[in-house]
Amino acid sequence: MLPRPFDIMQADSREQTLRLFVKVEGRGTALLKSLKPGTGVKITGPLGRPIENFSCSSIAFLVRGAGAAAVVHLAEAAGARGIAVYTILSASAASRIVCRKYLEPVSTEFLIATDDGSEGYEGLASDLLDELLRRKAIDRVYTCGSRRFARHVQRLDREGRIKGFVFLEGLMACGMGDCHGCAVPKNGQGDYFLVCRDGPHFPVAEVVL
Amino acid sequence: MIDTSVELAGVTLPNPVLPASGTYEVDEVHDGFFSSSELGAVINKTIFMNPRPGNPPPRIWETPCGMLNAIGIPSEGLERFLADQLPRLRSLGPPVIVSIAGNSIQDWRDLAAAIDRSGSADMIELDLSCPNLEEGFIWAADEAALRRVVTSVVKVTRLPVISKLSPNVRDISEMAVIAERAGTAAVSMVNSYQGMAIDIGTRKPILGNITGGLTGPAIRPLAIHGVFTTFKKITVPIIGMGGIATWQNAVEFLLAGATAVAVGTQNFVNPLTMKEVIEGIAGYVEEAGFSSVRDIIGLAQE
Repeated sequence: MLPRPFDIMQADSREQTLRLFVKVEGRGTALLKSLKPGTGVKITGPLGRPIENFSCSSIAFLVRGAGAAAVVHLAEAAGARGIAVYTILSASAASRIVCRKYLEPVSTEFLIATDDGSEGYEGLASDLLDELLRRKAIDRVYTCGSRRFARHVQRLDREGRIKGFVFLEGLMACGMGDCHGCAVPKNGQGDYFLVCRDGPHFPVAEVVL
Repeated sequence: MIDTSVELAGVTLPNPVLPASGTYEVDEVHDGFFSSSELGAVINKTIFMNPRPGNPPPRIWETPCGMLNAIGIPSEGLERFLADQLPRLRSLGPPVIVSIAGNSIQDWRDLAAAIDRSGSADMIELDLSCPNLEEGFIWAADEAALRRVVTSVVKVTRLPVISKLSPNVRDISEMAVIAERAGTAAVSMVNSYQGMAIDIGTRKPILGNITGGLTGPAIRPLAIHGVFTTFKKITVPIIGMGGIATWQNAVEFLLAGATAVAVGTQNFVNPLTMKEVIEGIAGYVEEAGFSSVRDIIGLAQE
């Protein structure tokens, strides 16, 4: 069986622990869920291109469903540096909202949108982002978990209103640039990035979504 | 201490284990697991004359005990390869095998001649068998095409030429015979088996390229059969591959008649596989009371 890629949600160097978010979707994640506490697992990582430079005065996160897990680490790091963090969490229903307990405490403003209106704004979370941008000066927007939102952020980036970034996923076998499975089309070049090696986060201007 | 070296068409490999082309990058990340200088040989992801982007995603799909891939061999092209990657491979220490593929006989010849001229390669492997190219042609699945490529290439290089054969044929051992008669110095077998998967939700093929190549432990018995039957028919050495996940699997290939073995898909699962296989083979040979890895090649034939 091939290994599975996961975001590192939190890393505690003092406790020597990693916290991963696992959404049970298929065979691999079902097997992970069935593990008993204390069972050893083999992890290769951290892999990919680290987010080294995110200095700015304000960051907004527009994330949907399990995509929220991808930005927890960055939101916490940004908060710790005194960057204003605005978080917009989207889900189909209130019961599907995840990572709230990690994101809410580090957020200057924390907004929720659900498709069915069971919590927060009923409708598209991208509406909340547009509304936020009218009220606040936001430098960067990071998005994950929805192609639709990623395209929305791409439009805002093109209009020069914010600098946009997207966390992408892809079917991958190795996570280290060997298998070339997780290809993402490069913008305008007829070529590809690899999610595992060049990502998982990309400036929205550089990828075809 | 046993002698782990093997002889492959006049080139001495310090041990019989190498990566299958296109499954293991030599870079800093990988050197964090083990040094590529410990390998029996190093090999590049197949190089074409011109840069090519590869196939549209999805490119891979997990299957029972294996995976389908339709990567389409993204390539930086010959020029960049000669300038950047080849010198890096050369600097590592183990023999360097350069994997090439052409879209025409002229391409094959030009590539082989350029690699020869570089002076940085010990052997040339002809990737005659990728099933995922948009050109849609598997050279090694056509007797005349196979013969023509090998014959043309051996004329323009003094380096030993390895023909990587396709299992997508009636009898791979017959193709090996053709390659040998055409002048190949060794054969690699097997490349991936053509396969595909369909999404029952969208009712469409899963892979962006529609079809792909099946690799991994699922194909191992088929590959062992290919090596075993081919060994009887040719005198040039065989590099055996197809689903090697452990040193035991590698020993199986050596016993079937392979002189060297290549690890592919399992590199994705465990980047330490090749190191474990190198050590495991040596341990097996010593335990069995032989003095050299060469002593066990083809033993299952007797």
